[in-house]
Amino acid sequence: MKTQLPIILVCLSLLGGCATTNQRVLDSGDETQLQKRSYQSRIFETSDKEKVLRAAISTLQDLGFVIDRADLMLGSISGTKLDGHQIKITVSVRAKGTDRMLVRANAQFNITPIEDPKQYQDFFASLEKSLFLAAHAGE
Amino acid sequence: MKKLPILFGALILAGCVTVPPNTFVVTPELLQQRQLETRRYDGIKEESLITASANVLQDLGFNLENSETKLGVLTASKQRDATDGREVAAAIIVALLGGGAMAISKDQTIRVALVVRPVNDSNGKAMADSHFVRVTFQRLVRRTDNSVIAQTLREPELYQYFYERVSKSVFLEAHKI
Repeated sequence: MKTQLPIILVCLSLLGGCATTNQRVLDSGDETQLQKRSYQSRIFETSDKEKVLRAAISTLQDLGFVIDRADLMLGSISGTKLDGHQIKITVSVRAKGTDRMLVRANAQFNITPIEDPKQYQDFFASLEKSLFLAAHAGE
Repeated sequence: MKKLPILFGALILAGCVTVPPNTFVVTPELLQQRQLETRRYDGIKEESLITASANVLQDLGFNLENSETKLGVLTASKQRDATDGREVAAAIIVALLGGGAMAISKDQTIRVALVVRPVNDSNGKAMADSHFVRVTFQRLVRRTDNSVIAQTLREPELYQYFYERVSKSVFLEAHKI
């Protein structure tokens, strides 16, 4: 018991650093709004919203997600992946000017937001393949 | 030794669970899954195909949850019993051996998403009467200790059975029966 007590104490002290309710509701961490938007968004050179949405649906299905809902007018898709853990993702597609589409994704793993830009990079790389279009970083 | 579970619990609380790597990368296994979950139907309009598919989901006892037919998306779910004879037997043996009450599966929510999309011809243009249907089944099993197991169903037989039903339904739809 004596050797394990310090370890338990360390773990509990980590819990002590938990966020307040407001921080959790607003997901306000160290990142700025702009940083978050930049790694969660990409621009595609097409004016076909439906094509991008259908490609996003296919990509999510390829990745093992079940589509929860989709809306063409709003340009949004939500999906859930269950594999011992739960991942939820929302992808939105909106026109940027007349000939480009802005795709934005945000995801959560169990009960924490996914904030690793690498995961989003992977997602957009998969989407690129399914769209046969290169993605560009937003401004 | 008895402290081990406590230690383990404390570690989990401290946030050791992370997103598995390659979560958003399409791996060869996932492509195999795509083969399993997809069928192509020719000579039928998207509207008729999605109607036929919705009918199959109802045949199988699912309740429709959401749909966006403009994007070919349908989602449905149902709640069912999840008790498993073998699991119950194992729990009884454990209890007889003095292992206490073992949690067993109680009930489950089965979810399904079905997506219809047009097949592209060699010029990348969507064809009017050739479509792919892709369906994915998931389930959330609640156990007697209220823990939940989440999984995607991968048995080929399940998907085969489902598409046999869709083929029949497409036939009925085409003949307006």
